[in-house]
Amino acid sequence: MPIGLRARVGESILALWQQSFARSLFVVGTGKNVGKTVTMRAIYRACIDAGIGCALASIGRDGEAYDVTGETAKPRYRLEPATIVATACGVIPRSPASEVLALTSYETAAGVIAYLRVRGAGLYELVGPPSAYALRGVVDDLLALAPRVLVDGAVDRIAALAGGNDAIVVACGAASAPTLGEAVDDVRALVARLNVARFTGEEESLAVDGALTATMTAELIRAGERRTIVVRDPTQIALSGKAALRAFERLRIRCVRPLRVIAATVATIGPERAFEPRAFADAVARATGLPTFDVYTAERAA
Amino acid sequence: MRLGALLDAASAQAIGFAWLSEAVAPAGSYGQSRFSAIEPFTPGEEEAACSRAARIARIAAAFDAGRLQSVYELAARVPDAGAAVARASMGDLLDDASLFEVQRFFDACTRLDVLTADCADVPRTVNAAVVACAGALEAGRAGSSGFYLADGFDPSLGQARTALAHAQAEYDAAQGRARAAVAQALDREVSLPEFIVMRADLDGPLPPGVRVVRETPAYFLCELDADEAALGAMRRRDDAAANVARVEEAVRERLSATIRAHASALDDAMRAFGEADVLVAAARFASAHRCTVAQIVNDGPVVFEAGRYLPLALELERQGRAYTPIDLRLDGSAVVTGPNMGGKSACLRACGFIALCAAFGLPVPALRAQLPLFAEIGWLGIGADRDPEGSLLSSFAREVVRLRDLQAVAASPRLILLDEFARTTNPREGKALLVAVLEWLRAEHACALAATHLAGVAQAAGAQHYAVRGLRGIPQRPATEDLPLALETLAASMDYTLEEVGGDGARGADAIALASLLGIDARVIDAAYRALEQ
Repeated sequence: MPIGLRARVGESILALWQQSFARSLFVVGTGKNVGKTVTMRAIYRACIDAGIGCALASIGRDGEAYDVTGETAKPRYRLEPATIVATACGVIPRSPASEVLALTSYETAAGVIAYLRVRGAGLYELVGPPSAYALRGVVDDLLALAPRVLVDGAVDRIAALAGGNDAIVVACGAASAPTLGEAVDDVRALVARLNVARFTGEEESLAVDGALTATMTAELIRAGERRTIVVRDPTQIALSGKAALRAFERLRIRCVRPLRVIAATVATIGPERAFEPRAFADAVARATGLPTFDVYTAERAA
Repeated sequence: MRLGALLDAASAQAIGFAWLSEAVAPAGSYGQSRFSAIEPFTPGEEEAACSRAARIARIAAAFDAGRLQSVYELAARVPDAGAAVARASMGDLLDDASLFEVQRFFDACTRLDVLTADCADVPRTVNAAVVACAGALEAGRAGSSGFYLADGFDPSLGQARTALAHAQAEYDAAQGRARAAVAQALDREVSLPEFIVMRADLDGPLPPGVRVVRETPAYFLCELDADEAALGAMRRRDDAAANVARVEEAVRERLSATIRAHASALDDAMRAFGEADVLVAAARFASAHRCTVAQIVNDGPVVFEAGRYLPLALELERQGRAYTPIDLRLDGSAVVTGPNMGGKSACLRACGFIALCAAFGLPVPALRAQLPLFAEIGWLGIGADRDPEGSLLSSFAREVVRLRDLQAVAASPRLILLDEFARTTNPREGKALLVAVLEWLRAEHACALAATHLAGVAQAAGAQHYAVRGLRGIPQRPATEDLPLALETLAASMDYTLEEVGGDGARGADAIALASLLGIDARVIDAAYRALEQ
């Protein structure tokens, strides 16, 4: 079994982020409780330690004290002074008081989204805007307030990545699949989908206007389609898991606006099961070809 | 704006109420609240209607387009502090986001008053309550527009925060020492709150200060085990944080109480802001469309010079085509005749639209105008044929039902616009019916304007007769079947001028020429001309 390499996980991902030239970074996951928040924390901490100004935001429900779908406790973020944060008015901590910079028109069940500057270190819940479009607006606003923006994403809301110029970290964990093999398949499918290459325009192609759905994909495979299938961006590929892997095996899928996945993280402990940490990290690294980090063991897969 | 009893929905649609309502809509929430309650002036309120229109016109004259736009944009951006003030007035403790909104409202009031300082017709928004509350919040101003519960609000706040910073530093140091010791012992980074230690990496037992949460054959899931020193530091940190929270809440309580004490006058300021927004939006409308103040009279004819039906005028302008304003003096009832597509309906709509503007105390789109306030403006005929009772009614029957409904309303004075009423029945009976309706309206002392192709109506009803001049000649049919080009050719040949004609003076509809221009087969056109000669 390969031995993991000691790593300062947050610093390592921050370095990859800086090399990507993207100012915003989304942490997306293969499921619930796969370590997105722990990954976010590690990257955020690295930004603070490096003196890099940072803003935080979230998609949809993430960051609430209790996960709406799973009822499991969700850790909040301890934010340091000068951090910019986008969250709903209803969850702004009353103490320590924050500086209110602006109130947006984006409504959530917990009130409108506000932009805050942290004045005294404290615990914050991140409640994000309800739509991908609104989240893009929030990210654009935050980029005017901070050099870097870190977004706690979600597996089912990658539409928010469309139209942006973001780096992406994919988090996967034992919570999302019953076996190590299935968890690895899930992350391989997600990364294959997010990492669809740019269409160079040199080969015969079939442009898909809108989403590439499972039905459409099955028809194309049945028809023995040989042309390159071109979507606007990877968020238009509405496939996951085995269906996605099969589609990528049988069809040549490309996009006009590619995304940038820069790393993967693994969380080997889930509420119901745990995977052997080094075996899991190593399998994810091999399946995705990405630098893969275990935030709990502070190791990088060999 | 509310229709009130002035218009029914079909008439409102026919004369452009929705268009007008959108054109004069204010930008911000305070204005919208005020705007939604506006009702038309009714007969007897001539002076008030005239005064309001004059006030709007003075604002339009006082400000150039740039300044009107600045005020409009300011109103669009101002947050609605109404809910915060209402909550404070009921004893709620306002949170910082609410205090931020209230402060931004005060800033907007100040800015509005500066922008409109040289025009007494725009209400002032900064009153004593705004001054007092803005002063109370001033210490919270952060950066260009932020709000923070700053130390300046209360000396004890700074002291409490300093104490918390010290306690936090003490705790961080204690925790940092423990974390560093474990990291050094394990020779690796330690994540919080949990971290994994692989059994294979351990030469001996786990280092002190580590608590095992879960263990498997391959690893330990651990967390830092706080020692007494760290626990003590944490307790002191928590106490200091609680003290900060207590003082912050006391500051919020004080600020909320200040707002509570001035809530009623702050409501006045918000109402004034709304009124300013409504007036400035109307002034933008008046300025953009060169509107004038109509003379509103208790009784008398509808008279206007160079009147325009703005929705059509702007649509034509968008297409690069000219709109011909019309002059009209409507004293009792009148008939409008003229060719197809000559602007008869537009004439009726211009008349209704001008009366509508006057009813809402707005300057009107005309060079000059004089008219009474109407208790009702009714539209009958084309453009009001929505089926009120299911699909079994013919278009004629629908017109009759509308007429019946209009007859049932006892409003006075009223303006009734009839667009080709009874056009779908036998022309002889249709004419008789139209003449009878005009006579009935005259007996009711209504103003009525009827567009029709039926000959001899004006003379038979004893009404004035206006006619559109019509085609200057038979236009050349375009070489292609291009409809927009045909319409352009028609427009170039048509004289849309409306003029009063003596007697019956009926003019042709130019229908055959129009049919030819729009592409009907030449053999059909020739046959039509032959039939006409017979």
